[in-house]
Amino acid sequence: MKKIIATFWNECRLFIRDITGMVLLFLMPLGLTIIMALIQDAPFREYQHIRFEILWLDADKGQLAENLREGLEETGQFRLIDSLDGRPLDTVAVKAAIQGGRYKIGIIVPRSISAEVVNSANQVANELGKSLGAAGKLPERPTRQATVEIYFDPVTKQAMKSALLNALDKQLTKVQAEMILGRLSRKMEDLDSTGVSQFNLEEKLQAVRLREFAAGSRKGPQLSSNSVQHNVPAWAIFGLFFIIVPISGNMIREREEGSLMRIRMVPGSYLSILAGKLLFYVLLGTAQFYMMLVAGLLILPHLGLPALVMGQAPAALLVTALAIAITATAYGLLVGAVFQTPNQALPFGAISIVILSAIGGIWVPVEILPPGLQQLAKASPMYWALDAINDLFLRHGNLKTVATHMGILSIFSACFLFIAGWIENYRKK
Amino acid sequence: MLRISNLHKTYLKAVEPTLRGLSLEFPRPTIAGLLGPNGAGKTTTISILCGLVRPDSGTVEVLGADIRTDLERIKKRIGVVPQSIALYPPLSVRENLEYIGALYKIPGTILQQRIRHFLQLFGLDHTGSKAIRYFSGGMKRRANIIASLLHEPELLVLDEPTAGVDVQSRNLILQFLEDYHGQGHSIIYTSHLLEEAQQLCREVAIMDHGQLVVQGDPRLLMKDHGFSSLEQVFLHLTGISLRD
Repeated sequence: MKKIIATFWNECRLFIRDITGMVLLFLMPLGLTIIMALIQDAPFREYQHIRFEILWLDADKGQLAENLREGLEETGQFRLIDSLDGRPLDTVAVKAAIQGGRYKIGIIVPRSISAEVVNSANQVANELGKSLGAAGKLPERPTRQATVEIYFDPVTKQAMKSALLNALDKQLTKVQAEMILGRLSRKMEDLDSTGVSQFNLEEKLQAVRLREFAAGSRKGPQLSSNSVQHNVPAWAIFGLFFIIVPISGNMIREREEGSLMRIRMVPGSYLSILAGKLLFYVLLGTAQFYMMLVAGLLILPHLGLPALVMGQAPAALLVTALAIAITATAYGLLVGAVFQTPNQALPFGAISIVILSAIGGIWVPVEILPPGLQQLAKASPMYWALDAINDLFLRHGNLKTVATHMGILSIFSACFLFIAGWIENYRKK
Repeated sequence: MLRISNLHKTYLKAVEPTLRGLSLEFPRPTIAGLLGPNGAGKTTTISILCGLVRPDSGTVEVLGADIRTDLERIKKRIGVVPQSIALYPPLSVRENLEYIGALYKIPGTILQQRIRHFLQLFGLDHTGSKAIRYFSGGMKRRANIIASLLHEPELLVLDEPTAGVDVQSRNLILQFLEDYHGQGHSIIYTSHLLEEAQQLCREVAIMDHGQLVVQGDPRLLMKDHGFSSLEQVFLHLTGISLRD
C-alpha cells in the first residue's frame, strides 16, 4: 500500500509540475465538447423545431390545395412561401429558384386537382352506397390523372425529402379519406328512417389513435437525444481517452530516461507501482469526465443550448465514469508498452482514439451508421461507454442496467493490461 | 560477492549472442571494475545480475544468492546506478529521493535523515526545490548515485558513474566510492576511463565479445603484460579495431 500511495503522490507531483500540460488536458476537451455541442445543435434538433421553407404554388385554389397547405403548416416543420420578390409564384419561378439553389423544395399543386379528388370520392361513395342499397347518386365522371409536382434541390438531404413526402402523402390520404367518409356518412343518413344521424363514420374510424409512451418503468423526465445529451457525454468520453497521451508518453520517457529500470530494481512486485499509476490516471480521467458533465450542466445553457440531464443514478454514473477511466488508462498503458518512442506512440494513440470514437458512435449516433459499422461499433470501448451513459441519462437506468457495459469495459481493460504486461515481459528477453 | 558461471545471452532478433559463456568471480568484498570495449556485454551482465534481463543459460550468484531463486532478496541488498540519469527531471532531487525511499519502504524519519546526509555528502544540500532538469551534468550524476544508496545496499553496481562530469564531481564520486568500500561495502563499476579504473579498482575483469578476457589486480595485470598503464593492457588484449 505504501508503494501505491507513494507512486500516486509522485504522479501528482509530476502532473502539477507540468502546468501547461495540465491546463491542456482539461481545457482542450472542455473546448471541444462545447464547440461540438454548438455545431451539432442544428442537425440534432428535432425536425419540428426546424422550419423548412417551401415554395408553394397553388394553381388549384380548391379544397384539396387548402387542406394540403393547412396540413403542412400544422406540422410546424414547413413554412410555405407563395411569392418571391413581391411577385406571385408561377411554375417557371419555382423551377428557377430550386434549380439555382435559392430554395430547397418547391411544390406545385395543379389546377383542378380538388375537382379530381371530389370526383374520385363521389365514385367511391356511389359504389359503396349502391352496395348498401342507398338511393341517389353523386355526380361523377371518368377519372383524369392529376399529380402534385414536388421539386427538390439536389443537395437536399434524404431525411428532409422523406419528411416532406411523408407529410404530403399523409395529408393527401387524409383529405381523400375525409371526403369519402363524409359522403358515405350522408348516404348512411339517407338510409336512416328517422333522418337523425345515429352513426358518425368518421368518429368510428378514429377509435384507434397513436400516443407516445415511455418504455421504461422508472420515473423521470421523458428525454430524447439532443445535441447536449449526445455531445457532452460523447466528447467527454473522447477527451477522457486522450489521457493515453500523457500515460504512454510518461511510460516511454521513464523507459528512455532509465527511471523505469530504477523502479524495476525495487524489491517487491511492480504491480503495486503500476497500481499507483493506474489510480492516479483513473482519478484524473474521472475528474476530467465530471468537469465535462458540469460544463454541460452549467455552461451550455448560457450558450443557448439545453442543460445536460444527468439521470437519477449518481452512484451508477460514478461507477461508469471509473470504468471508462480504467479502460482509457489501460489502453494508455498498452500504447506505452507497445511503442518505443513518443513519435510512434503519440500519433498512433491520437489517431486510434479518433478511429475508435468514429466507429463507437461518438461523432454520430451508432443508429444512423450502416449495418456493418453498427456491428463493428461494438469492438470500440467507446461504444459501450457511451451506451452506458445513454442508459443512465436517457433511459433512466441504474447500476443493474449498465452492469453488462461495465463487464465489457472490464474485459477491454483486462485485455489491454494483459497485452501490455506480456509485451513488457517480452522485453526482458 | 559475485559469481558468474557460463553465462549466455542472445537477445531476440539479435544476429549474434551478447554473452558467450561468461564466467568470472569476485569472491571477497572489493571494488571491482567490469571493463571492455563497446558491445563487450558489460551492461547486459549488470542487467542480468539486477534481474532486469533473463539469461539464456548459466548461473549468477550475487552476495551468495542465486538470481533465479532469490532475486527479491538480492534486490534488497544491492543498489544499481544506471548509466542514464534515472530520475524524474521535473522534480527536485529531494522529491525524487523521497519517492525512491518510499518505494524501498524506508520509514519517514530515517529516510529524511539519510536524504539530508547524502545531499550534504554529495554537495547537493543547497539545491532546494530546483528541478533536476536544471542541474549540471555533475549534479545529475551525483543525484543519480544518491538515489541508489538510500536503502544502504551491501553491493553497489555503477554503470559509468563518472561519464560526462567535471573533474571536481569525478573526484568527489571516486572519493565517496573509496569511503563506501572502506565501510565494508562492495562495489562493481564499469567505465571506459581506464586511468580511473586503475586508480579505483582492487580488481578488474576485462570482457570482450561476451567473454572474459582476463581478470585480476590491475597492478599485477600491468606487471604481467609488461605495460605501465591499464589502458595499454586493455588495448593489447582487446585490439585497436573500432567496435561501433
